[in-house]
This record gives sequence, C-alpha cells and structure tokens, in this order.
Amino acid sequence: MKAKLALLLAAVLGCSLVLSGCWNSRELNELAIVSGIGLDSLDGKQGYRVTFQIINPSSSAQTTGSASNQPPIIVVSATDRTIFGALRKASRRATRQLFFAHTQLVLIGESLAEKGITSVFDIFERSHELRLNSAVLVSKGTDAASVLKLLTTLESMPSMGLLKKMQNTSRVWGENRKVTVFEVINGITGESDFTVNGVEIVGDAAEGEKKSSLEQSDPMVGSLMSGLGVFKEGKLIGWLNGPQSRGTQWVLDKINETSINIDSPDMEEDIAVNIFYSKTRVKVELQEGKPVFHVHISEEGIINETGGFVDLSKEDELQELQKEMAEKTAAEVRQAVKAAQDMKTDIFNFGNELKRIHPQSWETVKEDWSAAFAEGELDLKVDAYIRSTGMRLKPYIPAKK
Amino acid sequence: MRKEVIGPFQLFAMIVLFELGTAVVVPIGLESGHAVWISILLALPGGILLYLVYAYLYRQFPDLVISGYTRKILGKWIGWPLSLLYLPVLTYNGSRNLREAGDLLISSSYDRTPIFIINSIMVIAVMYILYQGIEVFSRTAEIYFWLIVFMGMIANFVVIIAGLVQFKNLFPIHPGEWVEALKSAYPNIWIFPYGELVCFTAILPHFNSKNKIRKTGAGAIALSSILLSFTHAVEMSVLGEDIYSRTTFPMFTTITLVNVANFLQRLDALVILTLIIGVFFKMSIYCYAAVSIAADLFHVKEPRRLVIPVGSVVLYSSFVSAENFPLHMNDGKVFLENILPLLCAVIPVLLFVVHHIRRRFGWYR
Repeated sequence: MKAKLALLLAAVLGCSLVLSGCWNSRELNELAIVSGIGLDSLDGKQGYRVTFQIINPSSSAQTTGSASNQPPIIVVSATDRTIFGALRKASRRATRQLFFAHTQLVLIGESLAEKGITSVFDIFERSHELRLNSAVLVSKGTDAASVLKLLTTLESMPSMGLLKKMQNTSRVWGENRKVTVFEVINGITGESDFTVNGVEIVGDAAEGEKKSSLEQSDPMVGSLMSGLGVFKEGKLIGWLNGPQSRGTQWVLDKINETSINIDSPDMEEDIAVNIFYSKTRVKVELQEGKPVFHVHISEEGIINETGGFVDLSKEDELQELQKEMAEKTAAEVRQAVKAAQDMKTDIFNFGNELKRIHPQSWETVKEDWSAAFAEGELDLKVDAYIRSTGMRLKPYIPAKK
Repeated sequence: MRKEVIGPFQLFAMIVLFELGTAVVVPIGLESGHAVWISILLALPGGILLYLVYAYLYRQFPDLVISGYTRKILGKWIGWPLSLLYLPVLTYNGSRNLREAGDLLISSSYDRTPIFIINSIMVIAVMYILYQGIEVFSRTAEIYFWLIVFMGMIANFVVIIAGLVQFKNLFPIHPGEWVEALKSAYPNIWIFPYGELVCFTAILPHFNSKNKIRKTGAGAIALSSILLSFTHAVEMSVLGEDIYSRTTFPMFTTITLVNVANFLQRLDALVILTLIIGVFFKMSIYCYAAVSIAADLFHVKEPRRLVIPVGSVVLYSSFVSAENFPLHMNDGKVFLENILPLLCAVIPVLLFVVHHIRRRFGWYR
C-alpha cells in the first residue's frame, strides 16, 4: 500500500516537473507566420492600420507547381490605437495566432511617416518575438498595405523579395542600405537625425495583388527601391534621390560597391568605374563656434568599360582619371550635404560624433544643433585609386583624330 | 560521518560561476554610462581585498562558518544576534536571484508560464543538489564552469564576427567619466557582485588546502571580473548607451541582433542557458550559506534537514517580495545601497579589526 502510494506520488511529481515545460507550447500548425508588417496612419484619427503579410504554408513550398493555386501570402489588416491592439484585433480575420519571430520587414506608409514614427517602435523593443534587426522601409507615394500586397517574381515571399532587393542594391549600387529597427531607434534617441530606405510601386498597385500579374515576362507591377527618406525629429520631411542619396551613403561609410561614370578626354561620362572599396573617416569639431565636418574618403575602383579611346597603359592618363573619379565622388557628397543642410537635418551622425569626441563643444551648440549644422562647413578630401583596368589595357576603339 | 571536502579548482569554478551568476546578464553600474566595463575593473582590487579579509578570517578559524567565529570574536551576546542577521539577508538575496531569473525567462521566452512554475522547478533543482551535499555541488560546478566558458566564448565570438561591435560606443572616455566610473564602482559594483562573496565564508570550511586559499580565490575573482568586464563591454558596444540603459536583459537583446551570413541567428537559447546556469549556482550558494549558518546558530546536527525549509522560504519570498519587476528592481537598489554593505563589508571588516585587537592584547581566553 505504502509502496503504491509512493509510486503514485513520484509519478505525479515527475509528470508535473516534466509537463510544466509544455506550458508555453505553441505548435507550428497553429501559428500564422508573419513575414512583414505594414503600418499606415488613419485619416484624421490617432492610431494605426496595421497590415500583416502572412506566409501561406500550403503554397509557399519550395517545390514548383504546388497543388494549391492560392497566392504564397495572405494579407490581413486591422486598425487600432496601438499596434499591439491591432495585432490582437487581427485575430478576427486570421484563423491562427500571429507569430512574429520571423518578421523580416516593417513597412511604414508615407502618410504615417510624415505624421511621425517616434512612438511606433516601442513594441519592437518590448516584445520578445519581434526582432530589432528586421528591416524598415518607407513606402513612397503610397500606403504600406499596397506594397505588402504586391506579389513578386523570382522570390515567392514578397517580404523576402523586398529584403533581398534592398540588400542586393545596397551591395552593388549603394543608393540604399538596409536600415534596421535597431538603427531607427538609435537614430531617434541620438542627437542626429536619420534616413530610411524608400520603396515605390511602379505600375498599377491593384493589378499587383493578383497572381495573374506574374504570368507575363514583363510583370505589370513591381516595387523599386527608391532613395532615402529623411527624418527630422521622427517625421519624414523629404526624400534624397540618386546622387544625393549615394552621397549620403558615402558620408555614412555605407558604400560597399558602386559604379560611377567619369569623363574620358573626348566625351562626358563614358568610362564606368566599379568602386569595390570605399572607406570614410569623419571628424567633427567646432572652429570659432561653427561646426566643421572633416570627411575623408578613400576609394578604389576598376575600370570596367570605356566608351572612347583612353590610353590606359599610360600613368598620366590614369592619374587624370583618378582625379576625375575623386571629383565625381566629391560632387555627389557635396550635393548630399547641401541637400541636408537645406533641410536643416543632420542625417550624417555629425551631432553624435561631436558629442562623443568633444562633449564640451557639444554643450555650446546642442540647443540649436540643426541651425548650427546648416551653417557648418564641409572639409572634404577624396583619395581615389584605380587598381585595375580589367582584361585589356588600351580599348579597341580608335582614337579620335 | 566523513567531512565533505572541496579542492582548489572546484572552489575556483564555484567562485567564477557565482560571480558571473546574474551579473553577466543584468545591466550593472548604470551610473557610469558607457564606461561600465571600466567600473567593473576598477572595483576588482576592492573585491580582492574584501575576499582576503574573508580568507584571513577563515585561516584563523578553519573549521567555523561566519556565525561561528563571529560568536568567538565578539562574544556570544553580540555575535549570535549579529550573525542571525545573515539568515534573512542571504535568503532574501537568493530569492532575488530567483525572481530575476524567473522574470527574465518570462519576458524573454516563457510568456505564458506562471512564475510560480518556473521558480519552483529551479528551486527543486537547487534543493536536490544541496541535499546531495556540497561535494556533489562542487563537482557539478567544475563541469558547468567549462560549459559556461565555452558558451560565453561562442556567444562573444558570434557577436564579434557578426560585425556588431562598434568601438565608438566605448571610446573615448572623458575625464569626467572616469570619476563617474569610480563612483559606480564603489560601493555599488564592489558590493554586487564582489561583496556577495561573503557567502563563501560558509563554504570555505570545507576547503581542503588551506594554503592555496588566497591564490585560488583572488585568481577566480580576477578571471570573473575580466569576463564580466569583457561581456559588458561587448554588450555596450553593440547596443549603445541608450538601449543598454533601458533594457532589462542586455545580453539577450545583444544576441538577438546576431545574424551571420543569414544562417547563424537566433542564438537566444545560449543566453537563456547562461542565465539559468548562473542563477542556479548563485542561488544554490546563497541557500547553502543560509543552511549552514542556520545549522550553526541553532545547533542542528544534520544541516541537510534545513535544505527544504530554506528552499521553500526562498521560493515563497521570490514572488511575494515585490509586486512587479520594476518594483523588484527598485527594492534591489535600496537593498544594495543600505543593507548589503553592512553584511558584506562592515561586519567582516569589524571582525577582522576586533580579532586583531583581541589577539594583540591577548584578550582571548
């Protein structure tokens, strides 16, 4: 009797020890994996319209020609004053509980960005499911929901597609970069302002939601990484495009690889140089109460294409081209700094840098840093090197007589 | 009954695990901003000096725990009530560790499990190992020491190769910040985690090579201080001062940012394991110290019989001591500033001084 009782007790204790580990169990087939979140503002009301891009497991399998004809994603949205409220409210439309640990992307609608995004990211810090390294994008000229609804070619997961597009272009072209939630939070709390990648829709957004839009070789609709949105005090105040946004990246030392066209002796911009290394050093100091930004860029490139005759075997010619390359780079950087100064927005972390190195000088200008920044002087130095000319020295193109 | 003994490396491992315990996962020394890693190193000499005081007292009374020699030195009438003070403080501090672990586990992954379940599972493990005795416990520490070192190396390594470390978050350190760093080093970091080693006064009587006591302890403290400082420097350099100062669990936040080549990511489990292992050892040592001091004060022949009561008290007070985590942290601050210094530093130093005086004038009968 006693032995039986002891056995029973042991079993009960053992079970309660082992089974209490299952308290938090959530099975895979009861989760709806959210791959992207879109945030839009509501017209005239406080609060958010939150859109979730949910992976549809039955049609996102790797095998081609999967049985189901459903699109690879399902989009669900809900509105509430808070983001968390909205994501709980979305349960009225979703059959499974939303699961956020695999969220790759946070899209912010342009109108919300203009209203201000300062309070948006708290949930990303506080929640243990949402990750701080999900990428942030601002949809340009449209709302976040329509970007999330777009289906993509090549990548079956649209969020993955956007993310890869962003990483790809930042790796080889350099006008954009992957901005994470973590960086945005640091931008909001820091002394400087910040920039966020933009994405725009080319074509008819409504068409892009249909699977049929993918059934032609030139998809009718697509998304395009487009410029950097400039945020001042958490509000979107303008966009930097083309050379301005690449110049910004240059100052921030975020250029990985890019290509610039430089002038040959006979023609403008007909030599393509692939810059494969670039390093930027920034020093900020106050001279007579006025900030001076010392920016020193070192870059190395390969000549990948010439449109006219240049004798690349001659040192003088190469020196000339290197000078040209440095000038083109400097021009882009100057454009970027000028654009930022016109907007009175320090997107280059100069404020943080000044505070870090010269805290005493910082004290004197911190009251009105935006104005001081706009008055600041740029001391730019670019060292450009051409390391190689590819498989040929002289081009086959004959020299002009 | 044979006396239980522990060897030098076992003691070394126990001290390192105890020091790392919770200090490696929670933010410490917030007053010093980004110079926290310097504060930790600045507090090291003080920590070693304090340990040498404990070691000296042990060498004078090799068979007694702290309550024993307190009574010898200060006399029964002052010594007994004074050492009684250690009981609530040790159990409360043990329960604080448990509470922290439980809360961090809940907020980082077990969001739907009641804290009672998490804490009681941990307490059951602690009670079990203490019931087995200090020898078993020290052998466990020996194994887990390597595990912790190994995991720490992996975690730091991936954070570094993921390119997350930004030295600009650590440097430069301006003159004013050195002063701040010193202020947060003494007394706060000096007491937590170094001063907490007062628990080891209950473990030292089992140590088997009296002559190695100083070297072993000082070495272990120095190693743990370097590991702590390095880990906190990495966390600070990854997160930046702002996020580091707001997060409840900086190590967890740091590791979630890791993404090496899109495949080495979500290493949260490493941090959770570090937390659980660290807290397990720290709490066990607190409980053990409470058990042996209680056994000594109340003349309990078999200290083992006190393990279950002490464990239950620790479990109970872990969730009734504070309503919520912010309150718990505030309590901790008051506790650290007002109560712990008395027991960790003032009483041992007092004992040291009184013992010297009494010996000098031959006032021992």
